[in-house]
Amino acid sequence: MWRHQGRFEGVLGLFMAGLALGGVLSASVAWLLGGLLQPLPRGVRVVALLAAAVVVGLHELGVLHLRLPSTHRQVPREVFDRGPYASALQFGVELGTGVRTYLPSAVPYVLLAALLLLQPSLAAALLAGASFGGLGRAAMALSRTASADPEDWDALLRRRLALVRPAAAATAALLCLTLAT
Amino acid sequence: MGATAATAGRRLATDPITPALAFGGAALLAVAARSQPLAWASLAGLAGYSLSGSV
Repeated sequence: MWRHQGRFEGVLGLFMAGLALGGVLSASVAWLLGGLLQPLPRGVRVVALLAAAVVVGLHELGVLHLRLPSTHRQVPREVFDRGPYASALQFGVELGTGVRTYLPSAVPYVLLAALLLLQPSLAAALLAGASFGGLGRAAMALSRTASADPEDWDALLRRRLALVRPAAAATAALLCLTLAT
Repeated sequence: MGATAATAGRRLATDPITPALAFGGAALLAVAARSQPLAWASLAGLAGYSLSGSV
């Protein structure tokens, strides 16, 4: 609808900014909470992180079936009652946090564990948060919007995710190893 | 011919696998270069993209 009212670029820009902001908010909270784990020896924290990454990988492969905590709902439709610009920003922030809607993948828990257990610099944590929302979550919206047929894109995404999620989990484990050593 | 190539290019650019491949490539680069900032960015990008479909 907004695409046809000449507002699309502004709305999309605010949505993207909201995604990055939401990711930064979540990463900041995780980084702060990670300070509580600093008394643990680094070796213990690294082993815990690598164990978490392996468990998530097994979950994504279907070997394990974890019931990880997540919100079992979608972002409410009332968000869109605030007009295009405020709605886009709020919707972006809510999606960008990663905690305001259900989690179809456990890979974000690897990122959360890394932020909690490795306690990177604040700059690295903010970069991670902005990348989570402003790159990872935004990529879906941009790719779908730019596609010739968004409904076909949805169907293709469902097929691709069967490969993407286990591959993302394996890559995340490799990255944790790099970050921890 | 040109239109066909443009259509194929658009399909490839907007294929849902393309962002995953981009993040995966960045991750491999981060591992090879032992770049912590790139590792954090690619880990977070993958984590965010893995939630695609959830709104």
